[in-house]
Amino acid sequence: MGRTNLVLALILMLSALSLVTARYQARQLFMQNEQFKSQARELDIDWRRLQIERAEWSRNARVDQLAREELKMVPIVPERTIYIRGNMP
Amino acid sequence: MWRGRLVLSVLAVAFLTLLGRAVYLQGIHGDFLQEQGGKRYERTITLPASRGKVLDRQGVVLAASIPARAIWAIPEDANEAKIEQIQALAKLLDTTEKDIRALLENEDKSFVYLRRQVPLEVAKKISALGMPGVHQLPETLRFYPEGEVTAHIVGFNDLDDKGQEGIEFAYDSRLSGQPGSRRVIKDRLGRVIEDVREVNVPVNGADLTLSIDTRIQYQTYKALEEAVALNKAKSGAAVVVDVKTGEILALANFPTFDPNDRQTMRGPGMRNSALADTFEPGSILKPFTVGLALELQRITLDTKFNTGNGRFNYQGATINDVTKNGVIDARGVIMRSSNIGMTLISEKLQAKEMWGRFTELGFGQPPQIDYPGTTAGRLRPWEKWRLIEKATMAYGYGISTSLLQVARAYTAFAREGDMVNLTMIKRDNSPASVRIYPPAIANEVRSMLEGAAGPEGAKLAQVSGYRVAGKSGTARKIVNGAYSTKFYRGSFVGFAPVSDPRIVVAVSINEPSAGHYYGGRVAAPVYASIVGSALRVLGVQPDAPFESTVVAQTGGAQR
Repeated sequence: MGRTNLVLALILMLSALSLVTARYQARQLFMQNEQFKSQARELDIDWRRLQIERAEWSRNARVDQLAREELKMVPIVPERTIYIRGNMP
Repeated sequence: MWRGRLVLSVLAVAFLTLLGRAVYLQGIHGDFLQEQGGKRYERTITLPASRGKVLDRQGVVLAASIPARAIWAIPEDANEAKIEQIQALAKLLDTTEKDIRALLENEDKSFVYLRRQVPLEVAKKISALGMPGVHQLPETLRFYPEGEVTAHIVGFNDLDDKGQEGIEFAYDSRLSGQPGSRRVIKDRLGRVIEDVREVNVPVNGADLTLSIDTRIQYQTYKALEEAVALNKAKSGAAVVVDVKTGEILALANFPTFDPNDRQTMRGPGMRNSALADTFEPGSILKPFTVGLALELQRITLDTKFNTGNGRFNYQGATINDVTKNGVIDARGVIMRSSNIGMTLISEKLQAKEMWGRFTELGFGQPPQIDYPGTTAGRLRPWEKWRLIEKATMAYGYGISTSLLQVARAYTAFAREGDMVNLTMIKRDNSPASVRIYPPAIANEVRSMLEGAAGPEGAKLAQVSGYRVAGKSGTARKIVNGAYSTKFYRGSFVGFAPVSDPRIVVAVSINEPSAGHYYGGRVAAPVYASIVGSALRVLGVQPDAPFESTVVAQTGGAQR
């Protein structure tokens, strides 16, 4: 009788300890998950920022100005274009 | 013996007290205490939803939200900052120390915004200053990469990212998302360790794809800007419409504003005059009357009109032509833009018929387009037209429309009599349209319009390589209730290429003051420039002969 109680008490103790550890681990993992999520958010923000930056660099006004002034390009005119007739509708 | 009992009873009383307390705390008072406890370690976090992007038809970003910070301060604490710190802050915020001091003057306040929507990089530098009493709040900043070029179309938001103008306003509910929230437990260090309830996921705003083509928009804007400067005009507006789909490819106004800079958001630049301002269109309305007279068979292509020497007395008023045109037919009336010819045509039409046609064309009606600030224009009921008014109405006076309405009406000639509904949003289905003229009549008017934009008409509207059709108009502006002889509005509306029209372009230059004011002189070159570049961007093959200065290499390797 006494021995059984002792064993049960021990098992209860172990179970209680494992519960505490499991809880702790769960929280750790949860926090890690949160960290990754916020990292994902930051990367998303970065991506958006880069998209906008690209839009800014490829702005029509800028491309037009660079083409005219730095590259000395001129607008294309039909006289200087060779048209290729295909079978496109 | 009694000692034992005493100890036992004292213990029993103590035990009962504890039991009672436990029952009180956990049973009777439990809910309240749990709630109080929860308040101390549970937090509700709002999860912001990001606002959708505005894109052009090619997917180019026209408006997007990026995270930013609001810089705020507690004046009492912030005033303890060192002078160098305040100077550094002023420099980062691009303002003066005095302005910052002024904001921090009232120490009774516990919250003062120093600057809103500060970009993240600047915000980082500010927090590196380590100023006491200066804090930051996360918010978003709307950024418009194309700036003033698309300003009137896209519009802008207020500081809280709510749409105020343009597309941002019209589609605010679609662009702005639904913020979410989550209830969490935080630990001592403020880290989230557990979700208490299910997370209420935020719904991000949907992206919106416009019908605008940024390349054409830029060319349109540029051409307009140059014309306004060249003619020393007060303002100008231009619209480019896709004939096949009714999509608005470009809509530009000048002057304009920069949506990224709130300082520029004031004055006449804010006006989206292409669709918010009405004007008397003048001669650009003539083809509609001529088309109606032809359709009702009141005139034929051979009917001759004697316009005499350019002055004509009618109903107690004198109607003038710019040139002496003598005896001309309907084609001549359009090509020479004869007001007298139009008066003679109007005599064969009833007011009700003209009113009906103008109404069908959408004049005097609010345009069916999901956009703020559009105007209906003015078309008076036909019962009240006097004869002289019927005559002037035939050539575009006494009626007012917006440039957008005229552009839409012209799609009737470009689509063989079928007028299309316009949209600012990219279409993925075929557009709704209404038949206005029989195809044969529309094609006859089209050929007259080609003549009007030809060598004998508005020569400046011609585009190398493409056949163009269109009509110029010069309207005197009404100043203090009378037609002014000083203020004009020169317009040109047309389409191209004539063999298979792809675009309708409408241009209007308001109050040109550099000597010329005729539509054929001030607006037609803008039309030509826009048509040339837009057709090139759309990859439309030339339909007019031109002399090529380059020769294809022949005899090269066949691939």
